[in-house]
Amino acid sequence: MTALPTQRHGGEPLLRAENLTMRFGGITAVKQVGFSVGPGEIVGLIGPNGAGKTTCFNMLTGFYTPTEGRVFFKGADVTSHKPHAIARLGLIRSFQKTNVMKRLTVFENVLTGHYLEGRQSLLATFFPGERVRRAEREARESAAAVVETMGLARRMNAPAHLLSCGELRLLEVAVALAAKPTLLMLDEPAAGLNSHEALLFGETLKTLIGKVVQSLLIVEHNMELVMGVCDRIVVLNFGQMLAEGEPREILNNPKVAEAYLGKAAA
Amino acid sequence: MTLERNVLLGLGVLAALLPFAVTDQYLLHLAVMALFYAILANSLNLVVGYVGEFSLGHTAFLGTGAYTAALLSVNAGWPMWAAVPAAGLVAALFGLGIGAITLRLQGPYFVIVTLSFAEVLRIIANNWIGVTNGPMGLAGVGQGGIADKRVFFAIVLGLAALTFYLSYRFVYSNAGRAAVAVRENRYVAQSIGVNPFGSAMQAFVLGAFMAGLAGGFYAFYISFVGPEVFRFSFMATIIIMVLMGGKGTLVGPVVGAVIVTLLEEYLRELQELRLSLFGLIVMAIVLFLPNGLMGFIARRREQRGDAPSLSPAIEERTV
Repeated sequence: MTALPTQRHGGEPLLRAENLTMRFGGITAVKQVGFSVGPGEIVGLIGPNGAGKTTCFNMLTGFYTPTEGRVFFKGADVTSHKPHAIARLGLIRSFQKTNVMKRLTVFENVLTGHYLEGRQSLLATFFPGERVRRAEREARESAAAVVETMGLARRMNAPAHLLSCGELRLLEVAVALAAKPTLLMLDEPAAGLNSHEALLFGETLKTLIGKVVQSLLIVEHNMELVMGVCDRIVVLNFGQMLAEGEPREILNNPKVAEAYLGKAAA
Repeated sequence: MTLERNVLLGLGVLAALLPFAVTDQYLLHLAVMALFYAILANSLNLVVGYVGEFSLGHTAFLGTGAYTAALLSVNAGWPMWAAVPAAGLVAALFGLGIGAITLRLQGPYFVIVTLSFAEVLRIIANNWIGVTNGPMGLAGVGQGGIADKRVFFAIVLGLAALTFYLSYRFVYSNAGRAAVAVRENRYVAQSIGVNPFGSAMQAFVLGAFMAGLAGGFYAFYISFVGPEVFRFSFMATIIIMVLMGGKGTLVGPVVGAVIVTLLEEYLRELQELRLSLFGLIVMAIVLFLPNGLMGFIARRREQRGDAPSLSPAIEERTV
């Protein structure tokens, strides 16, 4: 089993994965992976294609039930909880394959993201009182503000299917932010962005920490973005933990270079 | 949102004025049936248009409501004002039970299982002679002596107003947005904290309740209920209305109900050819107006409005 990382921030980490293993039939996609995300941290999860990053994401957020191992969020065991139940605790994720509600407008997408804040009884749905009306107004204002934060104000009322690839990525993050996450998990948020856009995107992400979300966990292939943004990086290879450390340590780690580029000639 | 509300209010006012202009009993009968169908189409639309699953068993709730009202009236002498709400509540209970099973399924599985529930209920109604009187049906429901069709029209208009109010509130609420999120993208819905099953259940039970109200009214209006309320032809009519008007809109089912009611009536002379014509109409709608008449109008508005980047190619691909 992989040793748990030392906590730099002290106290209980926000998210802790212990000994996670996922087997699909005879294939072990992820094997005994353990790491944690502390408050205020941006953690990167990297590795070559097929390393098990997205499988990890799916286990952490309840879309898969791990074959072995446990997931703790805010100190509570959330292993094998339903995805919506985990989301309600404040762990919100995005998806690798861009996932938005294509027929709704940008504003409607983000407004829908405010679901948890606006939950109400059926009676209140049918006979809305002043409280419900105010909540609705606030959700609309907040949705407009989130759209603006992500730099999509110009596209506010455009249907999502008309957005460019980069805009879709931003919208996806906006929908996730609308759900007011404590920990936001992004699966390849910069895929399809050019390097300039990716850098801007990284800057946007940094501004979120402490203000909008407590912590971030990012799966990403764009190394410039990962190295520029993350406080700590976890490297997976063939479903196993290969390394963990600060960006500089990871860059100079020969095992990581080998996993990505192959063995150096002797 | 406000446009849809204003159109509905406008239609409601027009309908309220109708009895003052029309006294012909036959035309009033058509108006009553159109509103009855509008309630049904609206209730089916909550499932098809907002949950996004295609229910072929909606007649289960119409029939349950109709039988509940008929039994309460014939056996216990309940008046209409008590029996119709009871019909809605019983249908809602059935919705809860049937939904608990069917809403765990998606796509074709959902379609088949909902259809089979309606069939099972039809067979029960046909064979449980002690209670339902079998194929003979229950006659003489609510012989309260309401002779003037204008009274029935006022009642069905009230029911329609109630059901459309409830639908409007639901659709434009947080709960309605959650249902749409499940329809559009189940994964995103879950990741923002929506429970897909619970959210679909709300819309499903609400739809069942409204279909039950419509069924209860139908029992009193026709004053006879037989197993044919569970028949698939009823279902087909409601589906055509929802598809023609435009699923996922509130005005659509009303428009569809009015058009189909009139078509059914005035094509009556063509006898069996009528059903073939209906089939052709449905095919034409699916091919050319996949979002129904309301979808078509919305697209025209969009094209004339401020969406310059809307290329026809993209639009076709996504509808």
